[in-house]
Amino acid sequence: MNERETKLLRTIDMSGRGFRAWVALLVSVLLWGAFAYSRQLRFGLVETGMRDQISWGLYISNFVFFIGISHAGTLISAILRVTDAGWRTPITRMAEGITVVALCIGGSMVLVDMGRPDRALNLFRYGRIQSPIVWDVLGVSTYLTGCILYFYLPLIPDLGIVASRPGIGSFRRGLYRLLSLGWTGSPEQWRLLNKSISIMAVAIIPLAISVHTVVSWIFAMTLRPGWDSSVFGPYFVVGAIYSGAAAVVLAMCLLRRIFHLEDYLKPVHFRNLGLLLLSFSMLYLYFNVNEYLTLGYKFRGPEKVLLDRLFYGDYASYFWVVAFVGVFLPMMLMTLVLGPKRYRDFTVPGLGVASLMVVIGAWAKRYLIVVPTLSSPFLPIQGVPEKWSHYAPSWVEWSITAAAFAAFLLLYTLLAKTFPVVSIWETRETGEPVEEAPAAAAMPFRPKWRPALPTIVLLACAFLWSAPAARGQGAAKGGKAPQPTSISVGWQALKPEDAPRMEDARIAPAASGTQRFYLDTKVLSYPWAAGSSSKPKESPIPVIAVSAQLKDAKGQPLAYQAVSFGLKTSLGRLEYGARATDGDGKVQLIIRDHRFGQYPVDVAYGGDDDHQTSHGVVMVDFGPRPAPGLPDSGVLIAPTFSAAIGLPFLFFYGSMWCVFAYVFGYLVFWRMRREGAGAVPNPAPALDGGTPTQFVPIKPSRLPDGW
Amino acid sequence: MEGTRRSFVQFLARGTGLLLVSGVAIRSLAGHMFRTVLPPRSVAPENRRWVMVFDLAKCDGCKDCTKACTKMHFVPPMQEWIKVYEVEDNQAAGSYFLPRTCMHCDNPPCVRGCPVGATYKRTDGIVMMDQDRCIGCRNCIAQCPYSARFFNWGEPPHTPEEMKVAYSVEHNYPHRKGVVEKCILCPEMLRMGMLPACADTCKMGAIYFGDEFEDAVTNGKGETMQFSKITEKGAGFRLMEELGTEPRVYYLPPVNRKYPSPEEKHTHEATKV
Repeated sequence: MNERETKLLRTIDMSGRGFRAWVALLVSVLLWGAFAYSRQLRFGLVETGMRDQISWGLYISNFVFFIGISHAGTLISAILRVTDAGWRTPITRMAEGITVVALCIGGSMVLVDMGRPDRALNLFRYGRIQSPIVWDVLGVSTYLTGCILYFYLPLIPDLGIVASRPGIGSFRRGLYRLLSLGWTGSPEQWRLLNKSISIMAVAIIPLAISVHTVVSWIFAMTLRPGWDSSVFGPYFVVGAIYSGAAAVVLAMCLLRRIFHLEDYLKPVHFRNLGLLLLSFSMLYLYFNVNEYLTLGYKFRGPEKVLLDRLFYGDYASYFWVVAFVGVFLPMMLMTLVLGPKRYRDFTVPGLGVASLMVVIGAWAKRYLIVVPTLSSPFLPIQGVPEKWSHYAPSWVEWSITAAAFAAFLLLYTLLAKTFPVVSIWETRETGEPVEEAPAAAAMPFRPKWRPALPTIVLLACAFLWSAPAARGQGAAKGGKAPQPTSISVGWQALKPEDAPRMEDARIAPAASGTQRFYLDTKVLSYPWAAGSSSKPKESPIPVIAVSAQLKDAKGQPLAYQAVSFGLKTSLGRLEYGARATDGDGKVQLIIRDHRFGQYPVDVAYGGDDDHQTSHGVVMVDFGPRPAPGLPDSGVLIAPTFSAAIGLPFLFFYGSMWCVFAYVFGYLVFWRMRREGAGAVPNPAPALDGGTPTQFVPIKPSRLPDGW
Repeated sequence: MEGTRRSFVQFLARGTGLLLVSGVAIRSLAGHMFRTVLPPRSVAPENRRWVMVFDLAKCDGCKDCTKACTKMHFVPPMQEWIKVYEVEDNQAAGSYFLPRTCMHCDNPPCVRGCPVGATYKRTDGIVMMDQDRCIGCRNCIAQCPYSARFFNWGEPPHTPEEMKVAYSVEHNYPHRKGVVEKCILCPEMLRMGMLPACADTCKMGAIYFGDEFEDAVTNGKGETMQFSKITEKGAGFRLMEELGTEPRVYYLPPVNRKYPSPEEKHTHEATKV
């Protein structure tokens, strides 16, 4: 082990006063956050500044921010590894560490934001693949597993090196040896490790992109102004890589200073990463311009309100400061310290300041994405107190946010204390080895199909008549007593063309429901969507003729009398008004309503001086009700998985898990470990003086000398 | 070995075969995974298609509906499951009152986004809310363009009557901390053949409720109208039609109002003071 590496490994031994004070500070912030969270658990989210109008706040901003930061690492190191950029070697470990830690913190922010964290397991019991929240659970958990693996695999040879180092405690030696999975450094082990790392580097790139896209889809899948944007996926991915790369630069600056890693982190590393950061700042600027120009150019409807507030209104100062601090200033600073030769001496501190600004700007930008949109809903916010319509995070939220950052730093510190912050074996010489189940029990929906009644049904008419007038019978009136009358009622369904055109006839009944296609409906027209039955057509609107004949007691038809029609619905009585009988005492009512089912239609005669009142009832059948109750084109009852969304997600993340299982389960845990067990009796590799005897470079170095 | 044309064709044929076989396998697998039957809770007790019609010409903004709803469901404070907005489409048009319930959309964004199926669509059109299952992620609140969803930020205050009954998705109380609340169209009342509380209460008769299959809607004054006729003749509209949510709540435009407009009401109140 050479002097450089001994110096590097001092981080593992750090236990000075400064270190202890730092850890104590972080732990106390963490404890304060835990206290705040305990209050939130006890009293509910009322402890936060969020209310019904602005229902997501700091927690979700933090979630998006930390997931963004997590892209730092893995994506950058994976891209650099795949493209075989030799200068990456001292950086990758730091970057991957940031990723793992940031993902843990980001994921837990969602848990903190939940109203019922005790029901978090419902996500697995009842999870619906159509929900962006479930996509996030799936994506973030897969990504976290992948990142831990990707952090761990390149660590294995270093663990072997550290375990063989003199002067470490027996507990830690045992731990390192256990974690190194019997690493002996045999050529076969190197081959397997390189293969595993290469596969992981390739797999992690689409995974990382998918994760931040899915995070953006939480917002983009809503209808809200400012979120309802098709560019959100790439916009978030670029923003995430931008903030992530800045976090890596920041970590490099700090670790270099604290641990004196000048031997490893040379200005060239800063320069290369700075150029990457600069190009991403331009890309990010481009996406910002694209996002706000397309909205601002049209300035339409609900988005106008949002943009007014962002550009000139109550969020304007915040918006423009974030734009300057997050994009313009770092861009100018980076151009200066990377461009002209005379400022190149300031590359490292300049980049440090620029990346600090980028990280702060990124966090503030997440807040700007979440809060102003929620506070500019479609319907105006009315009749709520000021505190409800304007979001201001409470001390609980700030405390938990501070605790999240403290936890991030603490975990990263512990990671740096436990494992070498720079990959030893990769930097040792210029040549480097290349390296659900858905819910309730199914019960088939059985539509209650009534047998279709014949088109013409002549129902027996209910001859109901008014009882012979009971009152008023005396001799009070001089005239003769009113005669009893009777009404006979019948109905028939007419063909639409036979039906006489009435004044109030509705012309051209609108076809109910247009052809619409919903990705998350239960029935899909995909060839593999099993059970995609043909839609039951709604029957055409029936034309019903209700006819009645009014007769007096002798059976003589009563002509030119007003007869009123009414239809009893489940909640009331629909009046059709009165019509006059014709010369034969007949009257007809044509009904062209959009109605299904059977209804009693009653026909009433009000009577006059000579005739008593009477009425008749007939049950009219308007045809069977369609089933189920919703228009088929609009049915969105998808309580379970839908194939169109389920299959792509399950396929993508499922294949990722297969890759993990192959890489870790088979290549590393099975073959590599057995290889080590059988090959060398002495598991501690002889590593002193930097003799690269254990190295079997797979690829020749592409690194020019002097780097 | 240099690939021959023959071997390349064979290679393509094998690939096609593999694709076909995996396609058949996925199809049969999907048939098991993606069930097309509805769970029992999604099946409404009756085959209905509920609709609601607000006649804006009759709404005088008295908020009796809100009070009745709050009383009936023991709605926690600061929540208005039916809320009366005062809106102004443009400066020249003057303002009107706009009662807003849950729109019970046929393409409901909230149901789409719910991760656990706590909010779901019933076959009679009601968007239900199962607070035994809700995890409080508030994605549905973000999804809803009508601001019709509320959250129990803290433990809601309780009354003895509220606590007397056991929780049921059909009345959504007793209320609990950390779950989402919304209008559910009083399924209990509908079971008994009665109007929802808001429609029943409205003195102006502005709220009509009924079954689209019956093509009839009834208001609290007992007036029954033909649904398709009043929406067609009255130029009924739905809120934010352009969002494609397909609401089940219709509005009749505020024409020929017979009560003071919001402005007149305000000036009247101001002069009274």
